[in-house]
Amino acid sequence: MIQVQDLRYRYPDTGWVLEGVNLVVNRGEYLAILGANGSGKSTLAYLLNGLIPHFFGGTLEGAVFVDGINTRDCPVSDLVTRVGLVLQNADAQLFSSTVEQEIVFGLESLGMPRKDIERRLGEITEALHLEHLLARSPMTLSGGEKRLVAIGSVLSLDPSVLVLDEPYADLDWEATARVRRSLKDLHVDGKTLVVVEQRLERVLGEGVRCLVVGHGRIRFDGPSKEAAGASPGERLVPCYPERGRQDQSAEPLLAVRDLSYRIGQQQVLKGVTLDIRVGETVALVGRNGSGKTTLIKHFNGLLRPTAGTVTFQGRKVRPRHMAAQVGLSFQNPNDQFFRYRVRDELEEGPRRLGKLEPDWFQEICDLFDLHGLLDRSPYRLSEGEKKRIAVASILTVRPPLLVLDEPTVGQDGRLREALAVLLTKLTERGCTTVIATHDLEFAQAVAERWIVLHDGRVVADGSPEELRRDERVLRLGALGRLTDNGLAIAPALHEEGCDAA
Amino acid sequence: MTLLDPRTRLALGIMGIAAVMIAADPATLVVEFGAILVSLHLLNLGRPWVHSLRLSVPMFVLVFLVATVSLSPGDATVLSLRLINLLSVSFLLFHAISAEEMGDALRKLGVPYELAFILTTAMRYVPLIGQKIRSIIDAQTSRGIDLTLRLKNLGNLAALLMPLLVQSFLLSEHLAIAMESRGFGRKGRSMRREYRLRIWEYGLMAGAFCLLLALAWWERGGSM
Repeated sequence: MIQVQDLRYRYPDTGWVLEGVNLVVNRGEYLAILGANGSGKSTLAYLLNGLIPHFFGGTLEGAVFVDGINTRDCPVSDLVTRVGLVLQNADAQLFSSTVEQEIVFGLESLGMPRKDIERRLGEITEALHLEHLLARSPMTLSGGEKRLVAIGSVLSLDPSVLVLDEPYADLDWEATARVRRSLKDLHVDGKTLVVVEQRLERVLGEGVRCLVVGHGRIRFDGPSKEAAGASPGERLVPCYPERGRQDQSAEPLLAVRDLSYRIGQQQVLKGVTLDIRVGETVALVGRNGSGKTTLIKHFNGLLRPTAGTVTFQGRKVRPRHMAAQVGLSFQNPNDQFFRYRVRDELEEGPRRLGKLEPDWFQEICDLFDLHGLLDRSPYRLSEGEKKRIAVASILTVRPPLLVLDEPTVGQDGRLREALAVLLTKLTERGCTTVIATHDLEFAQAVAERWIVLHDGRVVADGSPEELRRDERVLRLGALGRLTDNGLAIAPALHEEGCDAA
Repeated sequence: MTLLDPRTRLALGIMGIAAVMIAADPATLVVEFGAILVSLHLLNLGRPWVHSLRLSVPMFVLVFLVATVSLSPGDATVLSLRLINLLSVSFLLFHAISAEEMGDALRKLGVPYELAFILTTAMRYVPLIGQKIRSIIDAQTSRGIDLTLRLKNLGNLAALLMPLLVQSFLLSEHLAIAMESRGFGRKGRSMRREYRLRIWEYGLMAGAFCLLLALAWWERGGSM
């Protein structure tokens, strides 16, 4: 069905991104393409539907055949009924004002008559259970719903092969399970699936064939359960370090009392009470939409409570005056870069707050291994480097409390490992850290205490080992079970992968 | 409002904007403002309208102050009222017609699909860019860069504009990839919705046009 022959490719302004790639995808197959950030796996996906070379240009050697057609000789718009591509960025993929419009966009592009459009719309909504979402704006949907609508919008064209670029990125365990179920159903119905993914555990247990790409070459081609051991260098399952020894005191650094917050008619936080003590590393865990980000925005005064109080070192948190006390690093590093050099970016915060300490600056550069990057532009760094710079630029202010919002989203195994190592070092230096995340494996690796947030309330507070076995919390759906998303198999793979590494 | 064909809604909206632009007499502007309030009430859009105007208050104040200094308080009042009316009519138009309906209306009026798509997508992405701006402000405020709307913060604007520019470019590239992957640009595109202008809609548009002409005549002191 798809044949890739002696492929070599580079973008107009880069070196070779893929080299010596040979690949055959058979009809009805479920193929997972795994690899780290920058390994070339998304590039391979773009080659399958003809975006390369038609959209991106660059130098392409070798050939890609879809149903015997050389993609080089066929425009992308003619390949859409053979290969459908679902992008990672759902916000860009969903550009219509209703879900219904989103699904029919491609059908109108094909020039399909009204009657056939209606029939196809009905089939897709039934297959993906989207009936109740049809009239809604895609912007108002949850992450999992957006992903399903994006799949539906491509599936409506009835392509023989469906290629999905990181379909589980930024989804919590519940949404991941929902998308996985839909993909499994499509595969059972005979659709050929190609899933590009960073995390091995998300494609386990599907009976999938696994392709591991590293540095532009195929490193492994075989069953998914053998992938971690066969290519340990790619860190498909991260090897987290031992948790840092926490020298915490009973002294509360931050205290939240009966905090409630409402947006319009929606009550986002409902009577949250918690303490963060000096020297501890706490993970604030919960599903997407449970209120984690809203809560941490109260820690530095970005949001004002509708009711209740937040105090830091015994004083009430004041809006726009907390940057020196509470360092809050958000999910997307690109939200903050505006200087031409990494050094200026790192010095921006401390200079403005009059807190530039050369010794501390050097220490942060040592800790985050930034000396080689200081004179480079932050825009030209890899995603992992950008994340390091973003966290370091908050720490250069030397805040007593560091808060990280979803630090592992979009990060591959190697980067998650590196982040865990950094947090362990910070813990050992007595830094107080709060990590808001739905990545339970990462949270377990770095934090001794979890605070579980569900539907705007704190529903549990304790050690991760206890909480992951707490039936009440699991039944509530506030935490994912180990059996979700193939995680039951993951620990064995983790050991296997780490031993091999 | 959905009873009307999108072309009728678009035409009425454009004529509404023209009526605001033509009006120079304070009394006419007040009457127009009254008509806008009635329309907002009938369409149950009062609360979102107040919310949208609240965001524009600094602009109204700035226009009023500049016009008072450079012209006169009377002219400043007329200019400010016209600005409020203009934004309110635009608000009504964009709430009465969805992005797709606008695109379909433009296509039916002979505008090339590619151009209509650019306009509708711009409409669709306004709230998304708004979200981006919020995220950037939060990220920068968290490291001590004040981006609240104050004169002393003008120098900090680069901290908002640079990340916004970079991310807008990225978003537009991703959008182009998504459109390409769903057959945008293929010849012979069909339209799922069926639109038909009814006779009474022609009458409605003709009536509105006559009112517009009468207003222009009135504003010119009774001569054309």
